[in-house]
Amino acid sequence: MIIEVKNLKKTYEGRVPTHALKDINFGIEKGEFVALMGRSGSGKSTLLHQLGLLDTPTTGEIIMDGTDLVTFSEKEKADFRLKKLGYVFQSYALLPELTALESVYLPLMLLDVDKKEYIKKSSEMLDKVGLGDRLHHLPKEMSGGEQQRVAIARALVNNPAILFADEPTANLDSESSEVVLELFKKLNKEIGQTIIMVTHEPDDKKYVDRVIWLKDGVIED
Amino acid sequence: MNIKTAFFLAYTSLRRGSKGTLLMTILIMTLAYVNLVFIASIFGGIVEAMNKESINNQYSNIVIEPAIDDRYIDNKEAVELIDTIPGVVGSSAHYIDKALISYDEYSDGNDIKSGKWVVKSVDVQDEKKVTEIHDSIIEGSYLDATDRDKIIIGKEISGGHGGGLEHLSLGGISVGDKVDVLFSNNTKRTYTVKGVFSVKSTQVDQMAFVTKKEMESILKVHNLASEVLVKIENTGEEDKYVNEIREIGLQDEDIKTWDELMGFTSSASKSFTMISIILGVIGTIVAGVTIFIIIFVSVVNKRKQIGILKAIGMKEDTIILSFIIQALFYGIVGVILGASIILFILRPLFIANPLDFPVGWVSLKVTFNIIRISNISLLLASLIGGFFPAFRGARESILKSIWG
Repeated sequence: MIIEVKNLKKTYEGRVPTHALKDINFGIEKGEFVALMGRSGSGKSTLLHQLGLLDTPTTGEIIMDGTDLVTFSEKEKADFRLKKLGYVFQSYALLPELTALESVYLPLMLLDVDKKEYIKKSSEMLDKVGLGDRLHHLPKEMSGGEQQRVAIARALVNNPAILFADEPTANLDSESSEVVLELFKKLNKEIGQTIIMVTHEPDDKKYVDRVIWLKDGVIED
Repeated sequence: MNIKTAFFLAYTSLRRGSKGTLLMTILIMTLAYVNLVFIASIFGGIVEAMNKESINNQYSNIVIEPAIDDRYIDNKEAVELIDTIPGVVGSSAHYIDKALISYDEYSDGNDIKSGKWVVKSVDVQDEKKVTEIHDSIIEGSYLDATDRDKIIIGKEISGGHGGGLEHLSLGGISVGDKVDVLFSNNTKRTYTVKGVFSVKSTQVDQMAFVTKKEMESILKVHNLASEVLVKIENTGEEDKYVNEIREIGLQDEDIKTWDELMGFTSSASKSFTMISIILGVIGTIVAGVTIFIIIFVSVVNKRKQIGILKAIGMKEDTIILSFIIQALFYGIVGVILGASIILFILRPLFIANPLDFPVGWVSLKVTFNIIRISNISLLLASLIGGFFPAFRGARESILKSIWG
């Protein structure tokens, strides 16, 4: 199992505490393409944020490689995210001042990879997502679908153990959405990339191996 | 911390960010720097003009006065040795008397204008080494060594030259006019006005000068002095020369340096220095706040990007460093452009066209110290102004940064 979740709870404190996640337990195998689905407010994005170490759960364990990630300090979490995880967000989440190539090699720069090496790897990754001819384009010079593919290339360039995608097609037209989801499927099949994706589109089920349904903060059978 | 990535992000942000914002920020930093240096330099220039005026026309560097109970300095041998001290440019002995100077315009005994002023005597050759009054004649000429019935007077005595004490003057007398001078020992002489001088000191412009020989004949003394002015090569080394003057035999005389004698002028120059420091501190704070606002706006605009950078694994200190590098870039470019404007435009302009201040001709006194302090102030302001908003932005949680 690549990631295992035990008794995970997330409560947002306030005058009336909100229990966003209530005792979540599940595991994901290496190479699985899993969709987290549910209605708005079901807790699917909250769960993804906990798994991706973007937020800290109230209680529970998230175990990877035998280590409980919840116990990590902020610096350790940042290090772990850089080395082991990849993210694709709903909105393309690119820095407007960076070209496609620069956006992709940024994580490699942070890993102190040699310049020649990170340019080669990033160019190859952009080629893999079908943007080999857009290396030096800025986000404003690309379509939404192209920007999201740059974000995918950035998420994958450091060979993450798990790729997290938070409604990656929400802002795309149907044609671009299909391109992105086909790309995920291809990466999952060809290189065995583990992917956990939040989506609210029932049609997306056809691309994934398994769906985890959430309702009011609990997993539905 | 990943310094290389911080530089990379700062570089791309500056290179590909808004050119208008970049130019405006640099302009503000440049003006902030010019403001810091200009204020300190102009006040420095005023203080220097005041000091120069005192040294060149009033006190020279060192003033030797008689011992407390004596009227004159009578150690002639020691006074003659002053000029032999290495580093002494010259010395000039004066007799000083307070005299009543009168002018009868129509020589008819009516409407006589008069006043009491300080009359000093000079050895013309010695005096020219010590003061610059001979270069400040605005009408007529300076005394010659052999002059006996000639007097030169300051513009505040003559009147007619726009002095501040015109109402107390003799009403506008000119070269060639005759004045009666009644000395304190009741000796009365008539002199022809040979020259009128004007310096930037009202005190000096209220003095009159006759030759040493003339004064000795009036006071019935020989080779004494009411005061001796000593000019040295390097202003600032007065204390050393005071000691040497004492060593050659002037033990009991009252020896003071020009800055001890400045009195009002000295307190004025201290006030100018204080004002300059206060304005400098305000200028630095304004520059710091400006950078703070610019970086703050930048951080607010890039809030989501900061969240994304953190999400992909960039550490907070790398993000903070990238903003500090940008802030320092604004500061460094501001310093370079500001220093260029000061050194290559304003300073030459002021040297060529000094300002006519009541205290003297004022130019920009740009010192290494002013430049150094201004550089440090602006860069420190950039550093602090850049750090706080960047720190705040980088510390925000990833989810809050990305989704608000």
